[in-house]
Amino acid sequence: MFRMILKTQWKWARIAVLAGVVGAFAVPMFSFASARDAVSPRAFIDAMQGWGAAYGFLAGVLGLLVAMSAWSSDYRGRHVYALSLPIERWRYVLLRFGAGVVCLIPPVIALGVSAVLVTSTHALPDGLHGYPVALTIRFALAALVAFALFFAASSATSRAAAAVLGLIAVLVVAEILTDSAGLDVGILDHVGRFVFVSPGLLSVFTGRWMLIDV
Amino acid sequence: MTLAVETQGLRYQPGKSFALADLSLHVPEGAIYGFLGPNGAGKTTTLRLLLGLLRPQGGTIRILGRAMPGEYVDVLARTGYVPERPHLDPTLSVAESMELHAAFHRRWDAAWATTLQQQFRLRGDARVGALSKGETGKLMMLLALAQQPELLVLDEPTDGLDPVVRRDVLEAVLEYVSERRATVLISSHLVHELERICDWVGVLDRGRLVAEMPMEDFKNGIKRLLVRDAPSALDGAPFTLLTRKDVPGVGEQWLVRGWAPGMREFLEGVGATVTDVVDLDLEDGFVEMLRSFRDNG
Repeated sequence: MFRMILKTQWKWARIAVLAGVVGAFAVPMFSFASARDAVSPRAFIDAMQGWGAAYGFLAGVLGLLVAMSAWSSDYRGRHVYALSLPIERWRYVLLRFGAGVVCLIPPVIALGVSAVLVTSTHALPDGLHGYPVALTIRFALAALVAFALFFAASSATSRAAAAVLGLIAVLVVAEILTDSAGLDVGILDHVGRFVFVSPGLLSVFTGRWMLIDV
Repeated sequence: MTLAVETQGLRYQPGKSFALADLSLHVPEGAIYGFLGPNGAGKTTTLRLLLGLLRPQGGTIRILGRAMPGEYVDVLARTGYVPERPHLDPTLSVAESMELHAAFHRRWDAAWATTLQQQFRLRGDARVGALSKGETGKLMMLLALAQQPELLVLDEPTDGLDPVVRRDVLEAVLEYVSERRATVLISSHLVHELERICDWVGVLDRGRLVAEMPMEDFKNGIKRLLVRDAPSALDGAPFTLLTRKDVPGVGEQWLVRGWAPGMREFLEGVGATVTDVVDLDLEDGFVEMLRSFRDNG
């Protein structure tokens, strides 16, 4: 059963996954290439850090595309096929989720291989160390979080999606109103910190993504 | 009589404009039950409720002895479903669609699926999205049959198909039913199509069940009578008067259900005379039944 679900998932997501493999393999290489001529360790780190956002971006886009492909066929058929299968609905969702997670593995491996290659085949500036495993784990976690979020969002009803958008709108309006009333509440600031600063849900995307650091 | 499908007081109202009201269906085991109704009557909604694709707002459903929607896994494992609109993934090939379907159905008969594939002339490597409407209909029927269901639920399975494909599809269903004693619940607005194959019929209009009876009763029992000196009230009649209207110079034209030749005497007993009895074909009977149902609110 899972084998067939995985086969269909692969069929739908293979272009995104293959592009992800290429991207994940390329980013550590490019980041090192951009830093190798740095005149000091500080400059080396700065150059590497310039590529940091690419890891988070790649993980986010990969999660989004795989999650969208997981439900696109069911959406087209208005879920009738899935709902008429003799399987508990939660199990079907888990199978689809599991198949999506498996599709994230090749880009993660590609990034890990590339990161290990970069750090093991080049001499690093004095005082700097390579963190290929930590970077790979973080990339895997970020891709998983992005996939899980978009998977949940794309499987939700339009009512649930409207509720989330409504909540965001309420927060924005509240921010504008408190601002115009001269109150220094900073609602969006608080929300941003809650979500993006550790241990926030999306904190894995923010901060420094460093293959080579002190 | 054991029932394969039974609903009691089924209610469902998705919006303000349409409601299924107090629907009580009884599909006998082994029957080919035609579910008739005009477009928008609620046939598809009813079938989706039966299979647990929608949640009823009231009433009970039992399919193959199991309560729905609670026991949907067991029921769906024993039920083949061909929906009104194609629901298969257009990016998969015919062979992949069969493989996917087989993975979820333990009773999948691979040999028979291959036989049906050849019989329906479906190429295994053809993409579902590139199939014609007729081929898609055949593929959906193949999937439903090869899982060896005890109950087949077919929602307008031949709608829009050419006569050759329609015959292929219906023949496959009849062959399966005769071999396996399965129950078939088939919805359609094509009255003549059901007339040939069904032994029970249920008529739905505007979310309400108008009639449910053996096909023979439906075919033979509805007549149009011309009646002279018709009484204004008709108590204790052995038939059901569906509609009546004046016909100048002749008397009245009645539409009745449950008519038998010996019933002329009853009318003579109340001072009326039957001057003509017209047999209605199934479609006329269906139309008149709906008309009388709507006239009576």
